[in-house]
Amino acid sequence: MIEYAWLIPLIPVAASLIILFGAKEDPRSPLPWIGIGAMTVCLALAVSILWGFVSGGVALPYEKNWDWFSLATTIGGQSFVWTMPVGVLIDPPAAVLLFVVSLVSLMVQVYSIAYMHDDTRYKRYFAFVSFFTAAMLGLVVSSNILVGFMCWELMGLTSYLLIGFWFEREGPCEAQKKAFMTTKLGDSGLYLALLLLYAKTGTFQLTQLHQHFALGLVAPAAATVAAIGILLGAMGKSAQAPLMVWLPDAMEGPTPGSALIHAATMVAAGILVVSKLYFVFLAAPLAMEAAAWIGLITAFMAAAMALVSFDIKRVLAFSTVSQLGFMLCALGCGGYTAGLFHLTTHAFFKALLFLGAGSVIHSVHTNDMRQMGGLSRRMLLTFATMTVAVLAICGVWPFAGFYSKDMILVAAWNHEKWIFWPLLLTALMTAFYMTRLLTLTFLGDDRDHERFHHAHESPALITAPLLVLAFFSLTAGMAVAHDGLAARLFPKPTLSVAADAAAATPSASVAASAANNPQVQTPDAEQELPDWLKFGIPGVFVPGAMLLAFFMYRGPKFEAAEGLRSAFAPIATLLDRRWYLDDAFLALVAFCDGVAALAFWIDANIVDRVFVDGWGLLMRIIAEISSFFDGAFVDAAVDGVGGLSTDLGVGLRSLVAEGQVQEYMMYAAIAVSLAATLILTR
Amino acid sequence: MTLADYMTVSALLFLIGVFGALTRRNIIGILMSIELMFNAANLNLAAFDRFLHPEGLIGQALAVFVITVAAAEIVVGLALLLAIYRNTDTTYVEDFHLLKG
Repeated sequence: MIEYAWLIPLIPVAASLIILFGAKEDPRSPLPWIGIGAMTVCLALAVSILWGFVSGGVALPYEKNWDWFSLATTIGGQSFVWTMPVGVLIDPPAAVLLFVVSLVSLMVQVYSIAYMHDDTRYKRYFAFVSFFTAAMLGLVVSSNILVGFMCWELMGLTSYLLIGFWFEREGPCEAQKKAFMTTKLGDSGLYLALLLLYAKTGTFQLTQLHQHFALGLVAPAAATVAAIGILLGAMGKSAQAPLMVWLPDAMEGPTPGSALIHAATMVAAGILVVSKLYFVFLAAPLAMEAAAWIGLITAFMAAAMALVSFDIKRVLAFSTVSQLGFMLCALGCGGYTAGLFHLTTHAFFKALLFLGAGSVIHSVHTNDMRQMGGLSRRMLLTFATMTVAVLAICGVWPFAGFYSKDMILVAAWNHEKWIFWPLLLTALMTAFYMTRLLTLTFLGDDRDHERFHHAHESPALITAPLLVLAFFSLTAGMAVAHDGLAARLFPKPTLSVAADAAAATPSASVAASAANNPQVQTPDAEQELPDWLKFGIPGVFVPGAMLLAFFMYRGPKFEAAEGLRSAFAPIATLLDRRWYLDDAFLALVAFCDGVAALAFWIDANIVDRVFVDGWGLLMRIIAEISSFFDGAFVDAAVDGVGGLSTDLGVGLRSLVAEGQVQEYMMYAAIAVSLAATLILTR
Repeated sequence: MTLADYMTVSALLFLIGVFGALTRRNIIGILMSIELMFNAANLNLAAFDRFLHPEGLIGQALAVFVITVAAAEIVVGLALLLAIYRNTDTTYVEDFHLLKG
């Protein structure tokens, strides 16, 4: 089946185009089922590839390239044909992500059939979702990072379209612009990094880039600059500090669309690109360290914001940012396996959380958790599945999040204790705010009786995807952590030459360059956490944080929590205002506006007045002088010559008679005889 | 009879023609004087042909052509004269000064 892998991104594109142009907009259009069908095919392909790899039937990585275009070029007097390949590269992480992305997208689309019914742009929504998924799948499978970057940008476009799906309202309109511009800020870094890599290596092919790095052909400085550019792209796309401002506002889009953005596609892309170009980071320890710290700061800041928010979708958005911070931190700490493992498990439970939240919002028509409460008595299935997701994200054994988060903590422990402790604190904060969300929404008393009485369980099309995702949230961690499968699925790339390049290159030169290559790292021996942490975190700390949240928020008024809030009012305000990051960006924009206004003033009043207008005046004066000279002297001379010849002609004519033909003839005769005389006597 | 004799006659004829063309008041007289000048030229042609290239007849043939062209030309001249006479009732050349600026 793997030879059909190149079809995986193309099928949803085709589905998207058919949905978009196939028929008129109709709130009950059957066309969305085409998208679901396409995604089922993708899922089947992905399952066959993944299962083939896990069971040993398929060897990964699999790479196949086609020529995209060729250029004749001359380097140093010799002619070459330079070819741009395009193709698929499926390594084990890509196989896993193909499965995750297509599964989540399929679930989201099934869910959306019920969630989006009767929307005026029903059909268009599904076209966007299909296209979005296609772009992500394209990024996952592409062997050419430039093509991957195109998919990345297409994802930016579709996220713009999905966030601003209800563009009649002001909020989504502003949010889509904010998301687009913020991510573009990061994208420019990524693009420059790719150009730099190309300038240094002459290829966009991931495998060839890896070889260049493995052979140590790229200078550490260039690798660092490129890695920081890539990191910038990931910061924009994966909403890392300080570019995380767009993600909470992206909640303005349809909730299933948010689930897709948060779980499978948009934000995962940043982590994915970092992992695809991980060898660049391996060659740039400084960038690795930066990634770890940015991830840590993001994880902490976002988790803190989630502690005080009462908007259910906002809390989930902050938690996404926080979890992405965990992943980036893991990648930065060298925990490649841990980071990607968490990306996978997070996709399941975050999609589940968003779809569950959507189900709740669908039922009570509000985002404010203070108006919910006690909904477990009304929406049992949603409650049960949400509970699974919350347990998973909190990291309770044996749910998926436990295994992946544990690996991240181990990676941080091995890398740097100063990263480990804040990260652990953030993990406990995660447990706290997710339990708070669950308690406020589903447990305790019903705070708004009218909403409570109107609440009802969602239809089967909504609950079925929840159940499927709950199954994976429950089992994915166990399955992958079992028997060292995680290390097989997410093998950490190395810069050691022997593993990658020995077969392809003459061994002597390889050995020489490897000996001279200071970037080759020897893997440290992985240390386990001390026992009290290893068992204390899942056994005591996490349940403790969860119980604390449960008892603080289970009552109708949660006085304890409100008391804390008023006691630490400045901190609460700081968190409510999202660390003033938005204000900081607005201030930055205002500052730039001011600078631009000043520059404009200088341009209009100094440059224009002095240089442009003054120059014009000078030219005018010179022109006036020149014009005077022209009129008084040059023209007078011309007129004088003309007048002179006129006068001469008139005077000459007055000498001869009155038009007598014979007189003229006589002159002619005299002239001829004179000429003849001259010629003959010469 | 030498070439010089012929040329003397021809020169005299030409000068008579010039004199006539410059002094006659009547246009018919002027045209006749011009014919005299033609004939002077024809005489030259024939004489040069006879004395310088006696083996061919090119010069004499050319004279015949000139006579033909002169005949055609005199026809045009007389037609113009007729038109002028009908318009102005005169054949004196000093009365024609329409081109005077």
